[in-house]
Amino acid sequence: MKEISELNLPDNVRYTEDHEWARIEGDKVRAGLDDYAQDQLGDIVFVELPRIGDTFKKGEMFATVESVKAVCECYLPIGGEIIAVNQALEESPELVNKSPYEDGWFVDIRPSDSSEMDRLMTNEDCMERLKGAK
Amino acid sequence: MESWNGLRTDYEDICPAKKFLWIDLPATEYEEAWRLQNDLVAARKKGICLDTDVVMLLEHPSVFTIGKHSDLKNLTVSEKFLEKRNIPLIRIERGGDITFHGPGQLVVYPIIDLHAAGLSVLNYTENLEEVMIRTVQDWGIRAQRGMRNRGVWVGNNKLGSVGIAIRRGICFHGMALNVNLSLEPFGWINPCGMQKITMTSMEQELSSAVSINRVRHAVKRHFEMVFDVELVMTSLSELDCLQ
Repeated sequence: MKEISELNLPDNVRYTEDHEWARIEGDKVRAGLDDYAQDQLGDIVFVELPRIGDTFKKGEMFATVESVKAVCECYLPIGGEIIAVNQALEESPELVNKSPYEDGWFVDIRPSDSSEMDRLMTNEDCMERLKGAK
Repeated sequence: MESWNGLRTDYEDICPAKKFLWIDLPATEYEEAWRLQNDLVAARKKGICLDTDVVMLLEHPSVFTIGKHSDLKNLTVSEKFLEKRNIPLIRIERGGDITFHGPGQLVVYPIIDLHAAGLSVLNYTENLEEVMIRTVQDWGIRAQRGMRNRGVWVGNNKLGSVGIAIRRGICFHGMALNVNLSLEPFGWINPCGMQKITMTSMEQELSSAVSINRVRHAVKRHFEMVFDVELVMTSLSELDCLQ
């Protein structure tokens, strides 16, 4: 398990308290699981993603991630419609461990209210929160 | 952030150990225990009505359970066969494939805020395995972690299993140690989706009777040591969050 100082928490994404991330890319928002979460879970062997066209409110469960002997629920960082899912995770779930913010992304969302992004944590907020719970 | 290194710091010597609540339950139907876990996870997350981690110890009446991403190919008998014997098959959210629970198997369901406890999922599952390894060692059984799969093993025979789920940082499900249960139902499945493995029990390894009550006490004692906590006995009726 990584030390807090070793965690990769880039400043170009926003974070939830449950360690999902969200990044604005044009008119869509891409989301996934952050470095802390993937490190916590260990080797990920299965990712269950929603269907394109599904809609969720902010904070609703939209995916589950399975590592060896553990299943973890994931919650959508921003409400909206799922417009793309990362098909590569079906064959290569380990991408979530290897590249949580790039190749290991989960879904693209058409946000219903993009101001919800403002209420997510910055990487500094996220770091502070992790240190606080130490 | 480092969670378990087996060492106590000076600080911990001065301060009393962290406390978890411990609930010894009678034989409990799988679905009833599942509802209890869900209620406790919800209460633990809110943190107001349940600000302490809880561990439940129980046995289940005979039941097969199967992980949410698994299919029935590892059930080697028909569902009708199970129906005839009145053994339910339940699909659940934990990881892993199909397994069997029954009387004579000790099941431990910890409801722990992993982040607050400073535990990674990996450390946590290793701790559960460690509790089982140390417990059976009290009876002279040398068990070890599996190379291919989680759980604890005596040679190629599986003695104890681990399967957990995590909801908003709170873990549930847990571990199951085969004490003196009938191993026959494991013959109707490929346990954990693995062919060519056999299950064993403490009684089978020792070829003599094992008191499940003594094992309950040993599990509690080793849980306290491995997790470095004090387990405070309570009962469901004393938990305000369930009222």
